[in-house]
Amino acid sequence: MSDAPILLEMRSITKEFPGVKALSDVNLVVRAGEIHAICGENGAGKSTLMKVLSGVYPFGTYEGDIVYQGSETRFADIRASERAGIVIIHQELALIPELSITENIFLGNEPRKRGAIDWKSAQRQARELLARVGLREDPDTLIKDIGVGKQQLVEIAKAFAKDVKLLILDEPTAALNEADSRHLLDLLRGFRERGITSIIISHKLNEIEAIADQITILRDGRTVETLDVKADGVDEDRIVRGMVGRELSSRFPDHTPKIGEVFFEVRDWNVRHPVSAERQVCKNESFVVRRGEIVGFAGLMGAGRTELAMSVFGRSYGVWESGTIIKDGKEIVLRTVADAIAHGLAYVSEDRKAIGLNLLDDIKTSTVSAKLSKITKRGVLDEVAEYKAAESYRKELRTKAPTVDEGVSKLSGGNQQKVVLAKWMFTDPDLLILDEPTRGIDVGAKYEIYGIIQRLADQGKGVIVISSELPELIGLCDRIYTVFEGQITGDIPRQDADPETLMKQMTSTKKMQTR
Amino acid sequence: MSRFKDLQKNLFGGTTSNARQFGMIFTLVAIVLLFQFLTDGLTLRSDNLIALFQQNSYILILAIGMLMVIVAGHIDLSVGSIAAFAGILVAKSMTEWDLPWPLAILFGLAIGAAIGAWQGFWVAYIGVPAFIVTLAGMLIFRGGNQFIGNANTIPVPEGFRVIGSGFLPEVGPNTGYNNLTLLLGLAACLAVIWREVQARRTRHEMDADAGPMWVSILRMAVMVGVLAFVALRFASGRVGTSFPVSGIILVALVILYSFYTRNTAGGRHIYAVGGNSRAAELSGVKLKRVNFFVMMNMSVLAALAGMIFVARSAASGPQDGNGWELDAIAAVFIGGAAVAGGIGTISGSIVGGLVMAVLNNGLQLQGVGTDRVQIIKGLVLLLAVALDVYNKSQGRFSVIGSIMRPFRREAPATPASSAAEREPAKTSVSG
Amino acid sequence: MRTFFAKTVAIGAISMLALTACGGGRDEETGGSDAPAKGFAANSLIGVALPAKTSENWVLAGDLFTNGLKEAGFTSDVQYAGASTTVADQQAQITAMVTKGAKVIVIGATDAAQLSTQVAAAHQAGAKVIAYDRLITNTPDLDYYVAFDNFKVGQLQGQALLDGMKAKKPTGPWTIELFSGSPDDNNAGVFFNGAMDVLKPAIDKGDVVVGSKQTEVKQTAIQGWKAEGAQARMDQLLTSTYGSKELDGVLSPNDTLARAIITSIKGAGKKVPVVTGQDSEVESIKSIMAGEQYMTINKDTRTLVKETINMVKALQAGNAPQVNDQKSYNNGSKVVDTFLLPPVAVTKANAAEAYANDPKLAPLTKA
Repeated sequence: MSDAPILLEMRSITKEFPGVKALSDVNLVVRAGEIHAICGENGAGKSTLMKVLSGVYPFGTYEGDIVYQGSETRFADIRASERAGIVIIHQELALIPELSITENIFLGNEPRKRGAIDWKSAQRQARELLARVGLREDPDTLIKDIGVGKQQLVEIAKAFAKDVKLLILDEPTAALNEADSRHLLDLLRGFRERGITSIIISHKLNEIEAIADQITILRDGRTVETLDVKADGVDEDRIVRGMVGRELSSRFPDHTPKIGEVFFEVRDWNVRHPVSAERQVCKNESFVVRRGEIVGFAGLMGAGRTELAMSVFGRSYGVWESGTIIKDGKEIVLRTVADAIAHGLAYVSEDRKAIGLNLLDDIKTSTVSAKLSKITKRGVLDEVAEYKAAESYRKELRTKAPTVDEGVSKLSGGNQQKVVLAKWMFTDPDLLILDEPTRGIDVGAKYEIYGIIQRLADQGKGVIVISSELPELIGLCDRIYTVFEGQITGDIPRQDADPETLMKQMTSTKKMQTR
Repeated sequence: MSRFKDLQKNLFGGTTSNARQFGMIFTLVAIVLLFQFLTDGLTLRSDNLIALFQQNSYILILAIGMLMVIVAGHIDLSVGSIAAFAGILVAKSMTEWDLPWPLAILFGLAIGAAIGAWQGFWVAYIGVPAFIVTLAGMLIFRGGNQFIGNANTIPVPEGFRVIGSGFLPEVGPNTGYNNLTLLLGLAACLAVIWREVQARRTRHEMDADAGPMWVSILRMAVMVGVLAFVALRFASGRVGTSFPVSGIILVALVILYSFYTRNTAGGRHIYAVGGNSRAAELSGVKLKRVNFFVMMNMSVLAALAGMIFVARSAASGPQDGNGWELDAIAAVFIGGAAVAGGIGTISGSIVGGLVMAVLNNGLQLQGVGTDRVQIIKGLVLLLAVALDVYNKSQGRFSVIGSIMRPFRREAPATPASSAAEREPAKTSVSG
Repeated sequence: MRTFFAKTVAIGAISMLALTACGGGRDEETGGSDAPAKGFAANSLIGVALPAKTSENWVLAGDLFTNGLKEAGFTSDVQYAGASTTVADQQAQITAMVTKGAKVIVIGATDAAQLSTQVAAAHQAGAKVIAYDRLITNTPDLDYYVAFDNFKVGQLQGQALLDGMKAKKPTGPWTIELFSGSPDDNNAGVFFNGAMDVLKPAIDKGDVVVGSKQTEVKQTAIQGWKAEGAQARMDQLLTSTYGSKELDGVLSPNDTLARAIITSIKGAGKKVPVVTGQDSEVESIKSIMAGEQYMTINKDTRTLVKETINMVKALQAGNAPQVNDQKSYNNGSKVVDTFLLPPVAVTKANAAEAYANDPKLAPLTKA
C-alpha cells in the first residue's frame, strides 16, 4: 500500500433517486499523486459517485461525508468544487465547436483587465497550457477543426486553467483511436510524476490495468473492493470478476425455451454514421434469430448495438450501405419504419421518454399508436376498439394505472415500459427488438418484464434483447451475440455464457472461434 | 369532482387540453355576459351576433388550419399574405378574365393548394424551419399581391360576394323567423342529443361508467338551450339577414376538421408528430407527409379566408390580410394549444378566437378606440397563457383547477389517494 | 336507451318551444330606406369612422368632430382604424355604429372600395352615410360626399410648381420629378390628374422634363402615403438620375411626403428644389417659412368638419343638406350628391394671410 497522504476520502455515500437507491454506503479513498480507477458495469453507480463528488448533486441531496485535503467539504454546486481544484471531464466534451481553443479554455473563466477580456494574456496562457498537455496547435484554431483526441486535450488544458488538483476523467478514451488513447495515457503518467492526482472511469480494462495504481470496483451501487494493482497483482480477469460478482441470483422466472427454425436473418450489414460519413457504425454484421428464441446483444456503450437494431428497423438510424434481410426464407427490403412494421418487426427503444413514447398521450392512444389501421373502420378510428385493446393489454401486462385514460407521463418507469411493450405487441410482430428493456426500472418490475419477454418467445416470436447488464442477458437469453466497435465478435450459446467470456469478447476485436 | 370532470370531458371530447378549454368557455360566457350588461343588451342582439360571425369567420377559419400547424410543432406567418395573394388573383380572374364566380372559388383554392405545396415542400422535404419558410412566404406573397394588383383595389361581382356577406335565403311560410336558420338550429340540437346518446352507448360498450343520467340531461339541456337561443337570435334578424353564409362555411369546416383531428389516423398522426416527432417516426408515422399536409392545408384555408374577406369587402385591396396571422395564432394559443406542439383542439381554438372577437366587438360597441383595444387584447393573450403556465408549474392541471377549487370540497381526499394509486413507488418519498 | 333518446328529444323540443315563445320574432325594420327622411332626435348617436392616425389631419379632424358634434347636442362615437389591420377594423367599427343605432355615419375611408357591405348595412338600418374627404366607391347606398375640390388641389399644385421654378430660374427647360399618393386612395389619382392637367402641356412642349421619365401613376405612387416610401424613392431617383444633373422641382401630393423628399435631397447634398405639398402641416409651414418647401395647400380641416356637421344638422331637422355638385362624383354605382370646398394654395408670400384664423399655424407665419 502506498503511504502518500490521503487527498480525498468519501465515506458511506448514499444517494437515492425516487424509487431507486443509486449509491448505498460507498467508500472511496484516493491518495495524493496516484491514478485511481473506478470500475463497474453500466449502472453500477460510477457516474453518480462522481457527480456527488463534483457538486452536481449538491450537499444535502446525499448522505455521507466527503473529506478533501484533510477537511470536510460541502459543495453547493459544480463551481464550488472547481474552486477547490476538482475538475471533471465528461464523456461528452463540453466544448463549443464554433469557438477557438483559447476561447474554450477560458470560457466562463476569462482573464479580465478593466472589465474587458484580456485576450493577449488569455492567448499567452493558452499557449502555455497547450504545451503542458502536449498539444501543438495554434490557440486560435476553432474546436470543430481539430479531432476528438485533440479536443480531449483541450478539455484537460481547460482543467489546468482552473488550477486543478484532482482531475476526474469519465471514459476519456471511449471516442479516441489507438494512437490518441496512448498519448492520453502517457500524459496521465506525466501528471502523476508531477504530483497531480487523477480519477479515471473506464470500460477499457486493459488500459486500467496498464495505468492505474488503485482500482475501486462498484457493483449495484455498493463498493465491492479496492485493489492495489502492484501489490495485489491485478489483471483484467481479476477486475472482471470483481465487477460482475461471482453468483447470479435467480432474478428470472423459470422458463423452458421452445426454439424453432431460423426465420429472421441479417447478412453483411453495413451502415455509416448519419453525420460523419467516414465513420462506419456497422461493419459486415450478420446474425440470425430463431422462432421462440431470445437472442441477446452484449456490448459496451458505443459498441453500435442500438445503431444496428435501428438501422435494421426501417433504416431509422444512419446511412444504410449494404446488407440483406431475410425473413421466412424471402429477402425483404425495409426502407421505412412503416415497412418494418408491416413486415412484423417491432423496436422498443432504449430511451422511452425521448423516443419511445409521446408523453402527452394517454395509455390508450399510446397503445394503438403504432398500428392505427387495426382500429380504423372505413377511415374512422373506432374508440371502443381502441379502449378495449388498451384495456386488455393493461390487464394482461398488469400495468398499474387507474384507467387507460391516464396520461403516460404520470406512470412509473416500469409501467411506462409496459405501455411501450403493449404498443408493440399490438402490432402483432414476429420479431421484437428490445433495447435496454429494463433500464431505470426497479427489480420487481424487471421480473415482470422478463416474464412478458419469455411469454412472447413462447408464442413463437423471435426476441432480440439489447442490454448493458450482463447478468440480465445471461439469465434471460438463449444465445448472446457480442458486439465491439460495430462488429459482431462472438455468438455464445446459453451454456457457455458467463460474464468473463462475454466481457472478453465485448472488449476486443478478436473473433472467437466457433465452437 | 368526477361528475364535473365527466361533464367537461363530454363537452369537449377526450383530449388533454379539456380543462383549459373548459376554462376558456367560462371566460367566453363571462365576457359575453359582461358586455351584454355594459352595452345594454347590444351584444346579444341579432344584428350584432350576425355581424360578429361575419367579421370573424375568416380569422376563425385560419385558426382551424393554424391549430393543426401548431399542434404539429410548426408556425405559419404567411397566412395573411397568402390570403391577400389568393384574393387579388381571384378578383382579377373574375373582373379581367371573366371567370364565373364558382370557378373562381375553385381557382382560389387551387392557388392555396399550390402555395401550400410550395411551403410544405421546404418544410417537410428540405427541413427548413416553418418559421423561416413562412416568413419568406409572408414577404413573397405580400409582394405578389402588390405586383399583381399594382396596389389597387379590385372590386368583385355580386354573385361572389355571397360567401362573405350572403345569408340563408327566406323560404317557406312566414313564421316571423328565417325558416332555414330555424331548421339549422333544430338539426344542431338533434345532433347534440344524438351525440350524447352515442357517447353514453360508447361508454357502455367500453364497460365504463357513463356517469349519472342527470349529468347527461343537464349537459344536453344547457347545450340545446344555448343552441336554440343562438338559432332564434340568428333567425330573428332583420328580413334579408339570417345565419351568414360565411358562418355556415365556418361551422362546416369546424365539424369536418374536428372529426378529422379526433377520429382519424391522419389526425392522430399530427398530434403524434407534435408530441414527439422521433417517437412518431419510430411508430411508423410518415413525418414528411404529415408536415407537408399541415402546411399545405393551412395555405388552402388561408386562400379560402382571403376569398371570404374579399367577398365581404366587395373588393380585394392591398391591405387585405395584414396582421391576420397574429390573430389566428393568438386564437390558437388562447384556446389552449401548447407552443411546443402536440396539444390543442379545433374547438378550443374557435373558443379562443371567439373570446378575442367578443372582446373586440364589445369594446367597439363601448366606443373604445383601437389603440386601447389592442392593449387589452395583448394583455388578455398574455394573461390567458401565463395563467395556464403558472398553474401547470404549480402542479395543478390548468386554469380550471383554480376556478373550480371551491366546488371540490365534497371530495377532498380524492386527488391525493388517486395520486397514490398511480405512483406507488413515490409514496414512500412524498409521504 | 330508446326511451332515453325519446325523453331527451322531448326535453329539447320543449325548451326550444319555450324559447320561441318568449323570443319576440323578427326585429322590426328600423327605418324604411325609401321613406323620406323625417329627421331624428336631437341627441341621437352620430358615428365617425376615420382611418389610422397616420397624419396630423386625421387626429385634428377627430377632435373637431368630437367637440363639434357635442356642441350641436349629438352623442358622438369617433373611431380610428388600428395601425395594422386597418380595413377590417374600420369595417367592424362601422358595423358596431350601425348596431348602436347611429343615425348618421361619417366615414373617412381607409380603403374606399372595401366598405360597400357595411355602407349597405347602415343604409338598410336607416342610417345616412356621409363620405368624408374620400369617396366610397361601388355602392349605391352612399348618401353624401363632403370634400375639398381635389382636382383643383392638383391644379393648384401643378401651377405653383411651374410658378416657383420660373421664379428661381427664369428660363427652361426645367427638370422635375413626380410623386403621387397611395394607389388605394381614390383622391390620390384625382390630385395627380389635376396636377398633370397643368403640367402636361408644359411637358409636351418640352419646357418641363421629367428627369427619370417616370410619369405613370403606377411608377410615382407611394403606398399608404408612407414617408419612408417617398424618401426611398427619392433616394433611388437621385442615385439613378441626378448624379450630375440638377433637379428643379418635385410634385409632391402632400406635406408628409414633401418633407420626406426634401430630407432625401438634403441628405444627398443637393440644392433643395421647388417642392409642392398639401394639408398645411405644422412642420411644413415651418419649412415653407424657412424657405425649403415651396408651397402647401390649405384645406382647412375646420371648414370641412364644420360643413359635415352642418349636413348632419340638416339631416336631423329633416331637411335636405346643402350640396353644390350633383354630377361630377360617380362612385361606380351612382352619382353622389357632393359638397365641395375650394382649396387655397399657400406659399411664403401669402402664409400670414391664409392662416390668420388658425390658432396653431398663425404664430408660425410671423417670422
